[in-house]
Amino acid sequence: MATISINNVSKRFGETLAVDALSFDVHPGEIFGLLGPNGAGKTTCIRMILDIFTPDSGEISVMGGPMTDEKKNRIGYLPEERGLYQDIPLERCLTFLATLKGMPERAIAAKLTDYLKHFDLYEVRNKKVKELSKGMQQKAQLISTLVHDPDLIIIDEPFTSLDPVNTEMVKDILEDKRDEGKAIIMSTHQMNQVEELCDRILLIDHGHRVLYGTLDEIQSKFTSRDIFVKPLTPMPAAIDGVKEIRELNGRYLLSLKDNAQPNQVLKNLINLGTEISAFEVATPPLNEIFIQVVRKQERAEHD
Amino acid sequence: MTKIWQIIKYEYSRHVFNKRFLFSLLSLPFMVVAMGVAGVLIAFFTQNRSPIGYVDHSGILENAVPLEIEGNIFEPAIEFVSYPGEDQARESLEAERIQAYYVIPEGFLETQVVKLYSQNTLGNSAQDQFRQFILRNLDIFKGLDPQVVERLQDGSLLTLATLDGSREMREDQWFMMIIPIIAGITFIIVVLTSGGYLLTSVVEEKENRTMEIVITSVTPTQLMTGKTIGNISVGLTQLIVWLVFAWIGIVVAGFFWPILRDFSIPDDMIVVMVLVFLPAFVMVAAIMSTIGAIMTEMNEAQQVSGLFSMLVTIPFYVTTPIMVNPNGTLAIILSYFPPSAPITVLLRMASTTIPVWQLSLNILILFAFAVASVWLAGRAFRLGMLEYGKKLSFKDLLRKPEAA
Repeated sequence: MATISINNVSKRFGETLAVDALSFDVHPGEIFGLLGPNGAGKTTCIRMILDIFTPDSGEISVMGGPMTDEKKNRIGYLPEERGLYQDIPLERCLTFLATLKGMPERAIAAKLTDYLKHFDLYEVRNKKVKELSKGMQQKAQLISTLVHDPDLIIIDEPFTSLDPVNTEMVKDILEDKRDEGKAIIMSTHQMNQVEELCDRILLIDHGHRVLYGTLDEIQSKFTSRDIFVKPLTPMPAAIDGVKEIRELNGRYLLSLKDNAQPNQVLKNLINLGTEISAFEVATPPLNEIFIQVVRKQERAEHD
Repeated sequence: MTKIWQIIKYEYSRHVFNKRFLFSLLSLPFMVVAMGVAGVLIAFFTQNRSPIGYVDHSGILENAVPLEIEGNIFEPAIEFVSYPGEDQARESLEAERIQAYYVIPEGFLETQVVKLYSQNTLGNSAQDQFRQFILRNLDIFKGLDPQVVERLQDGSLLTLATLDGSREMREDQWFMMIIPIIAGITFIIVVLTSGGYLLTSVVEEKENRTMEIVITSVTPTQLMTGKTIGNISVGLTQLIVWLVFAWIGIVVAGFFWPILRDFSIPDDMIVVMVLVFLPAFVMVAAIMSTIGAIMTEMNEAQQVSGLFSMLVTIPFYVTTPIMVNPNGTLAIILSYFPPSAPITVLLRMASTTIPVWQLSLNILILFAFAVASVWLAGRAFRLGMLEYGKKLSFKDLLRKPEAA
């Protein structure tokens, strides 16, 4: 059963159509990338899942049906607009937010101590939140998202303000949660993180679905006519089916002619006596796909 | 329910266990007690308890019966000492054995002239006691029960009553008139304090951006119910603590002013107070959360709420016209205007009997306005809760379609 199932959902604010007939599923044990340019409708979509907004039409099913109080306790949410109570000690703030997730106070203490130690915040637990650095507050916010062991985790830009060490730690935690069977929706503009972490992605623009599927599926759709080759012997000057050969950081980028197939080019190379240590069909980085798709959408809108 | 309880607990404890709150809570009773103690001490140390002498040439105080009165700290019972001649009395005064002496000349009953010799000004109480001492020993009062003499001296005790007999007030129960005023002042302090806390709490939620996390854990209704009850409880704590101090104060003061031992609030006044204050409390809380939800910054929110507080306290600025003419146009208008109604109704009650139909209409309007304010607060909250850094206008509040 899908943890989240969105079916043909639309939402309008006055004249603006924020989400337009959107459908997608998120499953347990996956990290799902919710991507899109600013103002694409990601936050509206998340707020509808969380029952902050009600959709104008369509259906949203969370953990098998409509949102309930009990289900709210099984969701961890890190919103784009970060916020903690500033004037109270960190531990008290996190304890209060955890009690709102239905955790008994005794259970909170033990769990919170583990997380505070893990995130290196244990020593500052009695300091007021406003006295902590931005990075520390970001880590505290992540603790508040995860401490009640939610089955559905929704995180918006989770790596903002984190140094590389903490970024790695958070990535590890998210991967662990995925392995435990939790469903994770991650919204971010850091495409390298999406490539590293996400199993499937949804790219939305102007409220509607533009790309949806596994990373491999999407990247294969955008596969260019290029091949990376790392030869052990000198590269031939000309190969059948290849338009252009360029050297790039010890590798060669081969641009194929329109009718040529990568298999055939590999055969041709071997026939030419070239010894090969690596042969890879070049997939465009997600960043490039994102820009390409969004620009195409913009052009379509202008036309 | 558990979540509402958690919010109540959080809101309550963050204020009540705060040094600033404890300071403001205890500072008022402390000031009252300090002023009371200072008053007692000043009275104690400045009152002259020495006897007063008298030289009676008229003979009316021959074989005088001493005055039997119960003194208190402010009015100590004075002993009157007879001297055969003015020289002896003067000698005693100079030796400070007495604080003053009276000389009652012959023919006093005809002239009523008495001379007083004193180093310092003699207190009113001492003079009054000497007057009573003379009266008590006049031939016509001799042999009468001292209580009868006292009643004859005091004259009649007036009781004012309304024509319909619904209310009456004894002349010596002047404090009954100030009960509504004190209740009004207490209400204002408590309701505006609670409202202020609620306002701060809602604005902070937006300023800190915690709103979005909180409403994914609880419903907006749970959040606002918890916040309102939590902050009103803070105000009620303040009220209860002050009432306890006031009660202790009245009991203690009763030892000095026996009249206060009769202190009680009439039942009908309590009923009206509850019926007026309950919707007023809800109204103020709802208006404060509305302001909190549509404003983005604390300063701004406090300015707007200050204007509203002024509307609530208007009657205090015009107390005299309301009390002098409790059925006048101004008093009536202010009692129909919901923000100013609670205090106006109480001030009018202090000086007149408000017709039942008017009182019912006042209370009905207050209840209706309270319901409308709660509706408005709910709408403001839903429209404004996630509009970080964006102020909602009053027009938006009434017309804008709701997102959720």
